[in-house]
Amino acid sequence: MIFGEQTAGNRDDLPDSGQGRCQGDVDLDRVWLGVATEVWRRQPGPTERLARLTLRSPGLARALVTTPSLLLGWVIASAVVLAAGMLATLGTGTPFVALAAPAVAAAGITYAYGPGVDRAWELSQSMAVSYRIVLLVRVLAVFALNAAMGLTASVASGTAAAVTFGWLIPMTAVSALALAVATVARSAVAGASAGLTAWAITVLSVHSASGQVIAAITSSALVLPYLAVAVGCGVVAWFATGAGERMS
Amino acid sequence: MNVEISEVTRRFGRTEAVTGVTLTTGAGVFGLLGPNGAGKTTLLRMIATVIPPSSGRLRLLGRDPGEYGPRREIRRRLGYLPQNLGYYPGFTVAEFVEYFALLKEMPPGRVPHAVAAAIERVDLGSKARVKMRTLSGGMLRRAGIAQAIVNEPELLLLDEPTAGLDPEQRVTFRALLRDLGQRATVIVSTHLVEDVGAACGEVALMDAGKIVFQGAPAELTARGEGTGAAGDAPLERGYSAVLVAARSATAAAR
Repeated sequence: MIFGEQTAGNRDDLPDSGQGRCQGDVDLDRVWLGVATEVWRRQPGPTERLARLTLRSPGLARALVTTPSLLLGWVIASAVVLAAGMLATLGTGTPFVALAAPAVAAAGITYAYGPGVDRAWELSQSMAVSYRIVLLVRVLAVFALNAAMGLTASVASGTAAAVTFGWLIPMTAVSALALAVATVARSAVAGASAGLTAWAITVLSVHSASGQVIAAITSSALVLPYLAVAVGCGVVAWFATGAGERMS
Repeated sequence: MNVEISEVTRRFGRTEAVTGVTLTTGAGVFGLLGPNGAGKTTLLRMIATVIPPSSGRLRLLGRDPGEYGPRREIRRRLGYLPQNLGYYPGFTVAEFVEYFALLKEMPPGRVPHAVAAAIERVDLGSKARVKMRTLSGGMLRRAGIAQAIVNEPELLLLDEPTAGLDPEQRVTFRALLRDLGQRATVIVSTHLVEDVGAACGEVALMDAGKIVFQGAPAELTARGEGTGAAGDAPLERGYSAVLVAARSATAAAR
């Protein structure tokens, strides 16, 4: 033990390490280290074990399950919003699930990773597991989870098939925009605000032009602009996260 | 040589934080001294591969950090304690150290023992299963040091490592530094001159983005002799004398 002369460790709550009984050649520090290794060993949960198998990287798996927007609180909040949308859809006939899903996903994705969200952002940038890959994996996971919840809510609310799948492309565009703003502004709040605002403006303006609430989702004329925004914002996010990845 | 820096400059907009720095160092403890805003942290962040230089050449552990593969290898062998340690308040100390061990791509089988050893080295054993949010500033700093040394790095970068440590902890930390410096290159950025005098074999003094002195602590001390420079200790007087001389030279050149 080098740091501090006092005996370290909360040894009272550990199995008998032989402290006080070992004499002569027994290296108590070595014994203690062996015990501490076992006692402090963390057992990964089922999600992390699955992620380890899928991603083939324990570091990436650990990084994936630590994103705020994959934690239980976030997942429940997203599910509640979509469930409310489902009930509203059933009650009014207006596909609120389809209108809410892009906004829910955008907010979740901005809290996937970034200097304003990831407290260990600076440290993460010096790690062998690239933070861009961490970002990509987290974004995909959050997007997939929100898409699955949105589809479930859409199907449960009996929305027409076109509407059920129609919001996936706007959802991609709004999520990419929110992520780009979050990474450039280094603020998850800014990203989420930009995503929600942009989506609200889109829905309202298309509604006022067409007279249909769901036109922002069903209009085929908007597919290409959505895709262009998604690709453009994806590129912006990629470069905004790239300082440490461009060392030369 | 583990660190080879040649004419490295880093700009942030119009501000030049580091200007034409050249530095070479091998195993041992290397102190980076300087007043606030001298460019120490920026230089350390470049060596930590967190930010790229605007110009100049950097070679770490015999590899070029400009390329993806070598950079990843460097990062596996790197330990870094940033000035502002971000941490996850819900993590325990052991989880925190383990998290970064995994992100450094340590073999998973080696991680539990390495985590326990690192926590013990910074004397945080009694807090290993305690949430980070409950730790004092000094304990957080020690947890940060534990994550930095968990992979037994060949290149260890510590930015203000003794901030928040009490005097007794600082003394024992210097012993840890000397021990680590026997095998690895340890670069310590600090504005505490006494840390450098006690633990470093070589020191560089930065001011306004440039290295204005590089040599042994004894040489820095010698620069202050008979100059009447301010300072309570000989090394502090050397520090002050070099800074005054560098600033005078800069002013004269304008």
